[in-house]
Amino acid sequence: MFGRKGKKGNYAYLVARVKAKKAGLLKEDAYSKMLMMSLPEISRFISESGYQKEITELTGRYDGVDLIEHATYVNMARLFRGILEASQGELHEMIAADLGRWDSWNLKVILRGRSFGLSVDGIKEDLVPAGELDLAQLEKLMACETDEDLLTMFGRMQGAPVPQDVLSRYKEENNLAVIEDYLDKCFYEKLLLSIDPSSRPKRLYQDFIRNEIDITNLETILKLKKEGISGEDVLQFVIPGGKQIDRKLATQLANAESLSAMANDLAQLDFYEEIKPALENTDSLREIVAALTKYHNEQAKTFSHLYPLSVIPVVDFMIHKENEVNNIRIIARGLDSGLDREVIKGLLVV
Amino acid sequence: MDVGLIAIGAGIAVGLTGLGAGWAEKDVGAAAVGAITEDVSLFGKAMVLMVLPETIVIFGLVVAILAAFVLPGYIPSA
Repeated sequence: MFGRKGKKGNYAYLVARVKAKKAGLLKEDAYSKMLMMSLPEISRFISESGYQKEITELTGRYDGVDLIEHATYVNMARLFRGILEASQGELHEMIAADLGRWDSWNLKVILRGRSFGLSVDGIKEDLVPAGELDLAQLEKLMACETDEDLLTMFGRMQGAPVPQDVLSRYKEENNLAVIEDYLDKCFYEKLLLSIDPSSRPKRLYQDFIRNEIDITNLETILKLKKEGISGEDVLQFVIPGGKQIDRKLATQLANAESLSAMANDLAQLDFYEEIKPALENTDSLREIVAALTKYHNEQAKTFSHLYPLSVIPVVDFMIHKENEVNNIRIIARGLDSGLDREVIKGLLVV
Repeated sequence: MDVGLIAIGAGIAVGLTGLGAGWAEKDVGAAAVGAITEDVSLFGKAMVLMVLPETIVIFGLVVAILAAFVLPGYIPSA
């Protein structure tokens, strides 16, 4: 009678929690302050801004930039896992599917780490167990002898075995991009399937994800074109399911001679106005990617205000939290490498 | 018979407004608990928001009292 069946989801409870959490995220001026600090000062500053538990736990094992990087990752993983555990019903399903991106991330980290001959402990430090697979399961994956065993076990854990042709292509070419591309496509396919577009907020969320696919595809096309790769070689990495960049437009973009030649095709995209200044002013991909990320974050914020009792405010918080962690890491890494403060500031997405 | 109908009316007034308040409070309560879980200092504000839908029941109660105590005086047979 009241629609309180377990499968509906506890939107009011979880959205109130994430809104309260979002209020605690670092504000724009905090990044300006951090840029003027030394690494130990940044550690102390973030420990007073919600990272205290992780900084205290890890301070004996790491210091400097390593401490900041690990503390932020551990904090983010705990926070996302907490949100997942507090959610119910269809809300839980959608959040779990969205957090699946961290399973792909972790698998990529493990495979890359192994290919560079890193130790298990070394790889473990870069994992973010915020997805379906917890640290114990990721440790099992790392214990596998060969990459093939690892991928087979990953497929079993996810309930979707990695196809034989992908495995054999990976073995033949020994190219991680094959697996990474498969993981990205698989993640977005699963995520889109988890959304039942029966109501307006869910349709909006579906649009939001399809827009994210467009942004990811555009980034991929731009990066590959910058490397001098074009045509079919680019198209094989395009993720299906985008809202505006369909196969035809992707082909046009992939075959364009230069960035300026792409402008006409890009002009038909909704977010062209957002990236136009970056496209006109520079050839640097960094600024275009930053403009795209900023647009995506703004979109999440707008959507979350439209439908407060939906999955969008939760996703909006997760995007902003990830952004905060990325910004802190950029500042810490930048200062540690002696980068100019203005350059670091330009890398931040605020 | 008329008194019986008045009693039923009074019961419906309180009962339906009670259901309405409960319906309104389910999300407010869940959100209040969620907010308090993150920040205990929000307890006061959450409490005020939580009891706001209760006013509907007070309206229902007033109507029921009027029906039970004032209305019978206007009915010749009561």
